[in-house]
Amino acid sequence: MATDVITGDFNNAEVDVESIEATARKARAQGIKRLLRYTLLKLVALVITVAIGVYITVIVANMGGAVDKIRMATIRETVALASTADPAFRQLTSTERIALINARVELEAKRYGLDRPFIIRSFEYLRDAMTLNLGFAQQLVSDSGSRLVRNIILERLPSTLVLFGTANLILFFVALYAGLSLSRRYGSWGDKIVLALAPTSAAPPWFYGIFLILIFAALLRLLPFGGMVGAPPPDNPFDYAMSLLQHMILPVAAWLLSAIFLTIYNWRTFFLIYASEDYVEMAKAKGLPDSMIERRYILRPTLPNIITSFALLLITLWTGAIITETVFNWPVIGQLYAQAIGAFDTPVIVANVVIYAYLLALTVFLLDFIYALVDPRVRVGEGGHKA
Amino acid sequence: MSKKAWALVALLVLIGSVALAACTGGTETVVEVTRIVSETVEPEPATVEVEVTRVIESTPETVEVTRVVEVEAQNPEEATRKGGWLDTIVIVQEADSNSAVARLEAGDMDMYADDIAGEAAIQAINSDNLQTRTQYGLFDELQFNIGTCQDETQLNPFTDAKIREAMNYAIDRDYVAQELYNGLAVPKYVTLAEASADRARFAPEIRALEAKYAYNMDTARELISAEMESMGATLEGDKWTFNGEPITLIFLIRNEDTRLLIGEYISTQLEELGFNVERVERTSSELSPIWNAGDPTLCEWHLYTGAWSQTAVDRGSEFAFEQYYTNRVLPWPLWALYSPPAELDDASLRIYNNDYSSIEERAELIRTALPLSMEYATRDWITSRTTVVPFRNEVSVTTDLAGGVSGSPLWSKTVRFADKVGGSMNIGLPSVFTEPYNPMGGSNWVFDQMILRGVGDQGIYTDPNTGLGVLGRIDHAEVVVQEGYPMSSQSDWVTLSFEPEVVVPDDAWAGWDAENQVFLTAADVYTETQTALLKSTAYYPDDFFSTVTWHDGSAYSVADFVMAMITQFDLADPASPYYDEALVPTRDQFLSSFKGVRIASTDPLVIETWSDGGNLDAENAISTWWPAATYDYSDAAWHNMALMLRGEADGSFAFTADKATANEIEQTNLISGPSLAALATELTAASEEGFIPYAPTLGQYVTAEDAATRYANLAEFARRYGHYYISTGPYFLSGVFPVEGQAVLSQYAAHPDLASRFSNFAAPATPVIEIDGPARVTIGEEAAFDIYVDVNDGPYPIDDIDAITYLVFDADGAMVAQGTAEAVEDGAWQAVLGPDVTSALVEGSNRLDVVVVSKLVAIPGLASYEFVTAP
Repeated sequence: MATDVITGDFNNAEVDVESIEATARKARAQGIKRLLRYTLLKLVALVITVAIGVYITVIVANMGGAVDKIRMATIRETVALASTADPAFRQLTSTERIALINARVELEAKRYGLDRPFIIRSFEYLRDAMTLNLGFAQQLVSDSGSRLVRNIILERLPSTLVLFGTANLILFFVALYAGLSLSRRYGSWGDKIVLALAPTSAAPPWFYGIFLILIFAALLRLLPFGGMVGAPPPDNPFDYAMSLLQHMILPVAAWLLSAIFLTIYNWRTFFLIYASEDYVEMAKAKGLPDSMIERRYILRPTLPNIITSFALLLITLWTGAIITETVFNWPVIGQLYAQAIGAFDTPVIVANVVIYAYLLALTVFLLDFIYALVDPRVRVGEGGHKA
Repeated sequence: MSKKAWALVALLVLIGSVALAACTGGTETVVEVTRIVSETVEPEPATVEVEVTRVIESTPETVEVTRVVEVEAQNPEEATRKGGWLDTIVIVQEADSNSAVARLEAGDMDMYADDIAGEAAIQAINSDNLQTRTQYGLFDELQFNIGTCQDETQLNPFTDAKIREAMNYAIDRDYVAQELYNGLAVPKYVTLAEASADRARFAPEIRALEAKYAYNMDTARELISAEMESMGATLEGDKWTFNGEPITLIFLIRNEDTRLLIGEYISTQLEELGFNVERVERTSSELSPIWNAGDPTLCEWHLYTGAWSQTAVDRGSEFAFEQYYTNRVLPWPLWALYSPPAELDDASLRIYNNDYSSIEERAELIRTALPLSMEYATRDWITSRTTVVPFRNEVSVTTDLAGGVSGSPLWSKTVRFADKVGGSMNIGLPSVFTEPYNPMGGSNWVFDQMILRGVGDQGIYTDPNTGLGVLGRIDHAEVVVQEGYPMSSQSDWVTLSFEPEVVVPDDAWAGWDAENQVFLTAADVYTETQTALLKSTAYYPDDFFSTVTWHDGSAYSVADFVMAMITQFDLADPASPYYDEALVPTRDQFLSSFKGVRIASTDPLVIETWSDGGNLDAENAISTWWPAATYDYSDAAWHNMALMLRGEADGSFAFTADKATANEIEQTNLISGPSLAALATELTAASEEGFIPYAPTLGQYVTAEDAATRYANLAEFARRYGHYYISTGPYFLSGVFPVEGQAVLSQYAAHPDLASRFSNFAAPATPVIEIDGPARVTIGEEAAFDIYVDVNDGPYPIDDIDAITYLVFDADGAMVAQGTAEAVEDGAWQAVLGPDVTSALVEGSNRLDVVVVSKLVAIPGLASYEFVTAP
C-alpha cells in the first residue's frame, strides 16, 4: 500500500513530488519483484508438475519396463515369421537359419533401444520430453511417411482443429448464449425442454454418429459416410473446402447432439445463481434493458469462469475423441493416441502428453493474469487474492 | 427391356409368352413354328437396335408379334483397350469392416479389398447387392507346452504325445466351424494348408485322417485316462490330481477374435475330462512373452490358442512339417523342445530340403509324415478360417485363394465393372500409405503392397488359384536341372530339361567389388568350378524395350535390371558408400542359394541364372531379375534409384528404418513426406551432373543422353503428380493424399498389354459336386454311384480334372476302401464299388466320400453320400 506524503496546510499545499515518485517507484519495484517472484515460483512449480506427470507417463506407457519383454517377444515372433516367408531362407542350414533370425532380432532390438536398461532410457525420454526434443517414433509414421514425432502430430493438427475446433466453438457459444438466456427465463417451456433433454448427453457422440450415418448416409444417402473429403479429393481449393464442409456435417452434428443440452443446462444453472443476485434484481427494478443486465450484471462477474472454461476447452481439442473419429473415419489426433498406446510407441505417447501438459500449465499460468485483468477483485502475487 | 439383354433372350421370352397365349385358346393340339421374318441391325457405338418380327404358326390360330429390343453390342474397347480396364481407381481408407459393408450396400464403395469375418461377412454374403469371394489362409491351432515342469510336484500332461494326440478327439471341429464361426471356417485336422497343391494331392489321405480323428469324447476320455494314470495322476471324484493336488491347466486364450470362444469351448471340454482350467484371456502382445519367449519348463502355461497365416497358395509344403514339428526353423524356447520320432524327423527334413528323386518318393514321405504328425501332435489343428472379400455385383476381379484381393498379383489387371469399360471404382482398404515406399526397406504392409502390385508388373505372375507361375513380362523360359531332382513343368512356355551336372560358367557374375563398383565373376569368386542345382534362362520378348515404358515415359532398359542386380550385393557391403547393416542378413540369405548370373543377350534380353534354390515346379524356379521382384519392397527404375542412393550417401534419408533410427534421419519415401524435398534436390543435382550411379558398371548400359532424358522425364512426372514412384503396370499412381487416406490410380494407356490379357483368371474354378446312387446296397454285390461335377453352372471338363477319388467308410467310421472314379463324360464320373468292397461292409449306415482334384484350383472339392448296407 503506497503512503501519501503531504506536507504544509491544505490551502498552500506543497507536494513533495520527489518523495511521492520515490515511494511510487519503490512500490512499483516491490510489485514487480513480487510479481516476478510469484511468476518464477509458479513456473517452477508448473515445470516440476509437468516433469512428474511426464515421468509417470513414461513409466505407465512402458508398464514399468515390462513393455521391453513384450516388444522383444514381438520382435522374435515377427522376425522369425518374416524370415520363414522368404524362399531363400529354405536354402540355409538349420544353424544358419537360427543365426540369421538371431542377427535380425538383435538389429531390431538395437533399433528399439532394448540393448540398454529401461531405467536409463526412461530418463532419456523425460529429458527429451521436457526439452520438447520429440525425436523419432519407434513404430508409427506420419500420414506422409515421416518418422519424426513432430510431423506425426503436426499432420493431424489441422484436421483436428477444423473438426473439433468447429464443433466445440459452436457448442460453447450456442450453449453459453442459450444458458444465459434460459437463466433469465427460469421455468419457461424452453427451460423445461432443455431440462428434459439434458440426460441425452449420457450417450457419447459416436453413438449419435452411428445413427446419423445410418439415417443420412446409408438410408437417405444425403451425406457421406465419413472421411475428410470426397473420393478423390477435389483439385480446386473451393471444391475441396465445400467437400470438407459436407463431410463435417455429421460428425459436428453428432458432437453437438451429444453435449448441447447438458452444456446449456450447466450454463443455465450457473448463470441462474448470478441472475438472482440482489444487484441484478436492483438493475431490473431500475428498468435496465435485459441485454444490459445480462452483459453487465451477469456476464461480467462470471467472466473468469467463462474464460477458464473456454481456455480449457481449447486445449481439450488436443485429446480428440478416439471413437468418434473412428466412426467418422476422420484423421484426427485421438486415433493417433490410440495407435501409439496400442503399439507401445513411447516417444509418441510422451510427446502427446508433454505437449498437453505444457499447454495446460501455460493456460493455468496465463489464466492467473487474465483473471486479474478482467476482474479488479483479483490481484496477482502475494498480498493479492489468489486466483 | 434392359440394354443388357440379347436378342436371343428376347426371342425366347416371346416364344414363351406366345405359347402361353396360344394355350389359352383352348385348342387340343398346338404346333408352334417360330421363324424370324425380318431382322434389321443398326449398329451404334455402344448398342444396336434389333427389330424382330416373328410369325407364330399354330393350329388352329396364328399370332403375329413384333417387338423392338435393344441389345448391347460388344464395346470395341473390350478388344482393343490397353492397360487397366478402369479409368481410375480410388483407394479410400475404411478401417471398420461393418461400415465398409454398409458403404458397399449404399454404393459409396465398390469393393472392400480386405478379408472380412464375423457379422460383417455374414451381412455381405446375404446381401443381394454384393458378391463375395472366399479366402483361405488363417489357421487356428491348439498349441501345447510340451515341456516337463522344473517343479517336480507339478505334472504337465502335454509332455505325453498320446494325450496331445487324444485331444484331437475332444475337439468338435464342426461345432467350432459352424457355431463359433457361423460357418465361416472349415474343420482342419492336418498341417497341410487348405490353399496348397498338396491339399489336393493328398486329399484321400487327409480325408482318412479326418475320419480317424473325428470328434469322440469317449475315445478322448479313454485315451487320456490311460496315459494320465501311467504318469502317476489319479482321478479323484471327477478331477485329476497329482501328488494329492488337483491338476490345473493354464490356458492362454487370445481375446481379440473368435479364439476367445474357441478357448472357452476347449476349456469346458478339458473340465469335462477332469482338469481344472485357469483361463488367461489376453491380447497377442500380452501373451507373446509367456508362450513365445518364456521358458516352457517353468510351466507358466500349458495351452495356447495360436493361429498361423498363409499369404499365397503353397505349392511345396516345405514348411508344413519342418516348422511345426521340429526345432530346425524357429529359434523359440518351446520349439527347442521339439523332438519328433526319427521317422517323422527324417521325412520332415527331406521334404523341406527337396531331398528325393521323384514325385512318388516325395508323396511317400508326406504319406509317412502326415499320420506321424497327428501322433506327435505338438499342436492340434482346429479350423481354417474362410474369410470373404466383398464387392458389388457389378464388379469383376481376380482374387487369390490365400491372399484375397489385397494379396492377388493380378487384381489390378482384372478389376473392372462387368458391364462396361472404363469408369472410376472406389476400393476400400483398412489403411492407406501405412509406411514409407522405397524398394530396399519400405513398406511391406499388405495394403501398401496391394497398391504397389496394382501399379506394377511382374516377369512371372502366380496363378491365384494354383500358385503356379504364369507368364508376365517374359516371353518364355528354359530350366535345366540336375538329374534326379523331381522338378516338373505344366506350361508350354517353360522348357524343362535335366543334365547330370549344371556348371556355373567362369564369366557369370557371382559377386561384387564395392570399392571398384564392378561385378566379380565366378572365376574371381570361386576357387574351383562351381555347380548349381539349376540354371534358369529368362527370355524377354523381342520388342520388349520398344514397348515397355516406365510411368514417367522413360523406355525400359537393361540398366534397370543391372541396377537391381548391383543393389543385391552392394548395399550390404561395408565398402559401399550406401552401406546399411540392416541389409546384411537379407544379402546373406540371397547368397545362400545364388551361384551366378549372366546377361546372355541385351537385345532381346536374355538372362541366365545359376542357383541352388530348388522348386518342384519349373514355372516357379525361374529368376527373371525383373526389378519389382528383385527389390524386396517395391519397384524402381535405375534413375529414381539413383536419387535414393544419392540421398542415402549424403545422409538425407535412409532406406531402412534401422539405419534411419540409428542416424536420426528420415526413412526414404518416394511418395510423400520430408523425403520429397530431398529427392527434388537430388534430382536437380543428378540432372546437372549427369549422374550415373555405379558408373564403372552401369555406365556400360547408360549413356549421358539416356541419363539426361530419364531425369527430365522424372522431373516432369514429379511436377505433375507430386511424387517419385514409377513403375510399369496398367495403372500409375496419380494421386497421393496421405492425410485424407486416399490414393488415386489412373489408367496407363501406354501399357503394352491388352486389358483382357488375364481375363481367364476372373473366378476360381471350384468344383461343385453332387452324388447320386442307390440308397440301399446289398452286401457282396456291385454298386455304382454317379458323381456329377460342375463349374460355373456347366459341366467340369474331364481334361481339367486331375483325379476323382472315392473313399468308403463303414458304419464304425473306419475306411474300408479307396479308389478312383471313372470319367463318363464332361461333368460326369462314376464310382463302382465291386463285390469285394461291399463284402467288407457290415450292416448299417455307410458313407461314400468323393474328393475332386482340379487342375485349375488348389482346393479340392469334397462331397459325401450316405447309403445303407444289408445282406
